[in-house]
Amino acid sequence: MEGRLMLSDSMLSVKIEHRVGALTLDVAFELTQPWTVLFGPSGSGKTTVMRAIAGFLRPDHARIVSHFYGNDFVMTDTAKRIFVSPHKRSVRVAAQGATLFPHLTVRDNIAFGARSQTDGTSAAQIVEESVERFQLQGLAGKSPSMLSGGERQRVAIARAAVAAVSVGSGCLLLLDEPFTGQDLQLRDELIEELRDWLTVFKTPVLSVTHDAGEAFQLGAEVIKIANGRVVQQGPVDEVLAQERIRLLDQLNATRKESRA
Amino acid sequence: MTLRLAVATTAILLVIALPLAWWIASGRGVARALVQAIVALPLVLPPTVLGFYLLILMGPLTAPGRLLIGLIGHPLAFTFSGLLVGSILYSLPFAVQPLVAGFEAVDKGFIEAAAGLGAAPVRVFSSVVLPMARGSLLTSAILTFTHTVGEFGVVLMLGGNIPGATRTLSISLYDLVQDSNYDAANRTAVVLIAFAVVALLAIYLLPGVRKLDGRQADVVR
Repeated sequence: MEGRLMLSDSMLSVKIEHRVGALTLDVAFELTQPWTVLFGPSGSGKTTVMRAIAGFLRPDHARIVSHFYGNDFVMTDTAKRIFVSPHKRSVRVAAQGATLFPHLTVRDNIAFGARSQTDGTSAAQIVEESVERFQLQGLAGKSPSMLSGGERQRVAIARAAVAAVSVGSGCLLLLDEPFTGQDLQLRDELIEELRDWLTVFKTPVLSVTHDAGEAFQLGAEVIKIANGRVVQQGPVDEVLAQERIRLLDQLNATRKESRA
Repeated sequence: MTLRLAVATTAILLVIALPLAWWIASGRGVARALVQAIVALPLVLPPTVLGFYLLILMGPLTAPGRLLIGLIGHPLAFTFSGLLVGSILYSLPFAVQPLVAGFEAVDKGFIEAAAGLGAAPVRVFSSVVLPMARGSLLTSAILTFTHTVGEFGVVLMLGGNIPGATRTLSISLYDLVQDSNYDAANRTAVVLIAFAVVALLAIYLLPGVRKLDGRQADVVR
């Protein structure tokens, strides 16, 4: 597992205590891998964790610090009354549900967070690269209302990735249920494209899912959370061993059915 | 004169109302309630009350009035500028309230999406909230304009009915009736009614005025 050793230092330290309704969230973890999956059933507190990291939510008690290139950036520290606004954080977000701006075309949506780079790459070039990579050529001029649900989601991922890549190295990409509702083949292609592109910029990803199959496809580090607590953190094969058996059983069952 | 006043009032009020309405729409608590109450005050107050206090404030009887006279060399009352100040205050709720409703109807998901893509609050407002609430911007402008054209009490108190300077249509209608000149009064009134009907029809009919308002986030789960 060369990838695991390559980036063993923590890129983000998260400690959150927060009450939402009946759920008491109490989690602490470090992000050390290029792609980490926050895995858990709905209602386990995953989205609350994402919203706290993004800065959309002020937790009751929290300390959230990014460490890129040896610089500590304290984004939330309730004890010291530090709370950095979302747009100033070293974080870019694709929230749950594809909230594409209805008054902008697909291309203008993707370009929303694009910035030209110090190496001379223009914002437009980054946008065009994402349009090609995510196979959005046919959609770029359309209005979001003309897109299917799966297409909107793909555009939302491209839009967030462009924003993260525009910040350059030292930015975390947060994806909340990014691939839910995509057909499986398209999802796997999308994951490969995204991973290839983000590796170039060394942009780490934290994505949320309740789908074990997606976690295996990503082959990523998994943080399993249930009832507001971190149950286990580690490579997907270890953390989701039980889910893997269940998935294989399901697969065998469908195979038998189709043979019969 | 009426038209000049209405155009100037609408232009200045939009500049004031946009940030004010955004603050109200995104604010909460006692401060927000207080500001909303003050903005709505001209809706319930007799215009003569507003006119009276503005007259006093602009005149030489009070310290701010004397300061103002010292600054510009003459009293603001009974001038076009004085009338403009009164109009702006009196039409404030008509400019602010449609905007607040329009801004509040923009789903929070879009605002968070923009912030999560790195947009600062000013850009979130100008690139996302304002274009999505553009119908309410037009509604606000039309209502302010129409209301200023139809204004009477404040104009009478502050303007003093000076031909060519502060005499508006609604005031000249009052004069005509006082002189028992009903034919001319009728012509003026018909103009005012026709204008109001056209303006209100525009608000309810124009394509796009209400279309984008209140559109919810396209949530795909």
